[in-house]
Amino acid sequence: MTNPSGSFSNALGWGLKRKLIVSMLMVGVVPLLLGLSLAFLQGSKEIQVVSGESFQALATEAARKLDLLVAEEVARTSRIAVHPDIVRALEHRRDALHASDPNATLPALAQQRARWAARDPAAIKAITGNSTALLLQGFYAGSQSEPDQLLPQVVRAATKKLFITDVQGNLFAALTAKPGFSHADSPWWKGSFNKGVGQLYIEDLHFDEQANAYVFSISLPIMDSLRYEVVGVLHRVIDAKEFFSPSTHPIRFGKTGHVMLIDSRGMVLSCPILPTGVQLSSAALIPQVTVRQPGWVTADSDGHGGQGTAIIGFAPLPETSRATNGALENGAWHTFVWQSSDELFTPIRHLMMWMMILAGIALGLLATLGYFAASRIVTPVRRLQEAARLIGRGELQEPIQIHTGDELEELAVEFNRMNTQLEAAFAGLSTQVEEKTQEVQYLQKSTDQVLDAVPTPIIMIDQQGLVQYMNRASRDAIQPQEQRWSGRLLFDLLPLDDDHRQALRRDLRLVEENKSTAPPSSNQEPLLKEARDPLNQTLSQASPSTRRELQIGSHLYHYEWFPLESRSGAGKRFGLVLRDTTDESRLQDQLIQAEKSGSLDVLTAGIGHELNNPLFGILGLGEAIQEEADLARAKGYAQDIVGHGRKMAAIIRDFTGVAARESKSQRMSVDVTAQLEQALAIVQTSHDCLGLNVQKHYVAVSPVTALPDQLRLAFINILTNAVQAMSGRGDLWLTTEELNDLITITIRDNGPGIPKQHLGKVFDPFYTTKGQGEGSGLGLTVAQRLIKKFGGEIRLESPEGQGTTCVITLPADKAGVRKEEPCVSS
Amino acid sequence: MRLILTVIQARPLWLALALACASTYSLQAKDVAPPPGIPPEKVADFVHAVLDADRTIYTNQVVNRMQAKGIVSAAEHWEHENALPLPAQFLQHSGKLVAESGRGIRYRLISLWPIYQRNAPATDLERRALESFSQTPDRPFTGIVTSGRKQYFQAIYSDRAISAACVKCHNSHPLSPKRDFALNDVMGGMTITIPLD
Repeated sequence: MTNPSGSFSNALGWGLKRKLIVSMLMVGVVPLLLGLSLAFLQGSKEIQVVSGESFQALATEAARKLDLLVAEEVARTSRIAVHPDIVRALEHRRDALHASDPNATLPALAQQRARWAARDPAAIKAITGNSTALLLQGFYAGSQSEPDQLLPQVVRAATKKLFITDVQGNLFAALTAKPGFSHADSPWWKGSFNKGVGQLYIEDLHFDEQANAYVFSISLPIMDSLRYEVVGVLHRVIDAKEFFSPSTHPIRFGKTGHVMLIDSRGMVLSCPILPTGVQLSSAALIPQVTVRQPGWVTADSDGHGGQGTAIIGFAPLPETSRATNGALENGAWHTFVWQSSDELFTPIRHLMMWMMILAGIALGLLATLGYFAASRIVTPVRRLQEAARLIGRGELQEPIQIHTGDELEELAVEFNRMNTQLEAAFAGLSTQVEEKTQEVQYLQKSTDQVLDAVPTPIIMIDQQGLVQYMNRASRDAIQPQEQRWSGRLLFDLLPLDDDHRQALRRDLRLVEENKSTAPPSSNQEPLLKEARDPLNQTLSQASPSTRRELQIGSHLYHYEWFPLESRSGAGKRFGLVLRDTTDESRLQDQLIQAEKSGSLDVLTAGIGHELNNPLFGILGLGEAIQEEADLARAKGYAQDIVGHGRKMAAIIRDFTGVAARESKSQRMSVDVTAQLEQALAIVQTSHDCLGLNVQKHYVAVSPVTALPDQLRLAFINILTNAVQAMSGRGDLWLTTEELNDLITITIRDNGPGIPKQHLGKVFDPFYTTKGQGEGSGLGLTVAQRLIKKFGGEIRLESPEGQGTTCVITLPADKAGVRKEEPCVSS
Repeated sequence: MRLILTVIQARPLWLALALACASTYSLQAKDVAPPPGIPPEKVADFVHAVLDADRTIYTNQVVNRMQAKGIVSAAEHWEHENALPLPAQFLQHSGKLVAESGRGIRYRLISLWPIYQRNAPATDLERRALESFSQTPDRPFTGIVTSGRKQYFQAIYSDRAISAACVKCHNSHPLSPKRDFALNDVMGGMTITIPLD
């Protein structure tokens, strides 16, 4: 595995391993993050709801507690207000005021007010020292209260003012000299007096300069003994912070969670954090938390100066709120429960942090495990890849070793199998190629050797005429002096004149065009054969150009073009074979000469032989005549001499007949059958034909154009030949027929037949199988000549042992049709 | 029914009488001669009949029906709870309105076991009346009371727990001193005060 990782990279440069790791990480990270964020959102929401509801419950509970606290204080204060002595004193005051003349009392009141304002000791004493004031002091100090109704120390300390006004709102009795004298115009007095009906009036938070503190007040109407109408007002000013803080401050949860009390304007009555008397920092928050029903809100501000989401529970003080500012509609008091959102969400943030840390650890683990897992997957894959590359190059030496126990191992096994098969296939192939190459080389070598050994020059050229190969014979023949022949033009190499060169080119073109250039091989054989016939003159010789011969140096060559198999795509190739006919033609010439002279000898001998017998006869008869006295006998001898002479004449005529020139004008329409009959008759008379059984089958045939005598002669010769072959006994079949303007005459005997080796020579002149003097050896030659002269053909067929059949065909002469009855005789 | 009609028809009469009494009293100063016309017992009886009928209608036709149908219920802190005022509160708040109107006649509910001390009996007459209801709940307790120089006629009628809401509230309220009320028990009384001077 020494491959650079780059070889595995794609466009992004990410290998399989990295992809696997990233995939695993993504598979881990996405659900993790999704789950975490969902958990965080849901958790936050639930914490908000849970906290909000808890805060609301706490606010409600705190409101009830504070409500009771206020109610208790009101009840405690009302005990002063219902004290019979105080009620009676105020009833007297009411009655006194009622009875006296208002015009008289007004100046007295004004005087009294002025003296009170001037801190006249007598006036102060009149207010703070009367029996009602003493009662107040008794209540304040606890001496007037039952043991269980003692004013708690805290409340006592918180009470900044305690005084009673009469029915007109003027100071009637006071604990200290601090209060003002006239209160009829004060909202609390009006609210508490309430047109003489009276009602509890709890004043909202305000700053009292004399007490130097933020205070609220409880104003209780002092009813007459019947509780019918108000006779005075008991007013009590209480320091809000001192009064409420023991109740609100202990309620703490967490570091910042607390309960505070606000009035309807958002002023803080009591708060462990904010000072009493300040307003909530966010004005927008106030209407949200000062509704009549308990509840909780998620606000943008916490009211303590902090921004950000805050959860606030709130609840009104139910009973107290009825009395605040005289009626519920004029404002209520509310508890306000709040915890810093930082602190509130701290648990879930901690949880999130821990989860993130754990997630990080998990991701690390995931990445590590992913790395190992990817390595485990990728390593065999890389080995497979490398193995595949080696297989591709055919260089894999050892089988792949992968033992993962999964598909990869199976793949490796398949790879190994494939490699083995490939190797086997390749090994077989290379062996075969080697063998074939050797074979080809061997073939080439042997071909070269064969070609070199052939004495015939052989040249191979391509389509452009460039020489591709020359065998040794051609090299020797054409250019022994030139070493370079490859790639040269053949026509440049061959030292030829223009005629031969053009002939050569023309023949090449014919071969090129795939035209049959069948060499006129028959030309040569007849040439030779004809040369053996001294009687037949050789006709005009073919021109050198048509005879495919060319002269190179002193040598004469017969040439032959032939197309060569060429590879597909390559151009055509042609071969040129030169046959050295120098010797051959010389030999042929000599042969012709020899034959000519030989034939002449035979001819001479034959003629001599033929003529000798009658000549000796004539000579003998002549001598006999000389000695013969008997005339008759002499005449007989003379007649014999005449006969011999005629015979000789006939022989000579035969020869001359063969060779004689005949004009065509002498020809005439001849009935073939009649001539055949005549010829048969002649033969039958001149030969011993006693055992001959002639079978004739003639049909009416058209006449032929011929000389009747000569045609008859030809028939005679053939029939004679047949009769002689059968030695005068046997069967002879004669048939005539006509087909396609050809008249066929068949003469068949059942003689011994002609041996095959002689069959080709039977038409040769003077060839004979008979003894000397028996036949001239010219019979069939003459017959052939004659038949040919008439445009016909003759041939002999002789299946051995089945007799001989002579078939003569002659062209029918359609001009002179002469019908004849078919004549069949046996 | 006849009684209610009578009261309604008598209302203008009663108002005229009250004004007449007040003017007569103020004119004749310390004359203690009984005023002519309808005696205060009668007037108080009329008023009580009206109040009782109103409250009964409110209790049965409004509160009980609404609660039975689950639309809205009655609660002490009805302002904060989207609820109906309790029948007792109904009477007290109407009494306050009457008092604030300045007509002179006032009425309120009192009890020997008040949730709020302000509803405790204020006078001996009231106390005695409430105590008498344990024996004679159906007989109103009347008398003349004085406050300083002022004289008033008071009539106290026993007040029963006319609905389950009354019983439930008084038995469960944290400030209630008595928690064993049953339906139709005498829980206290209604004081009607008519000024005589």
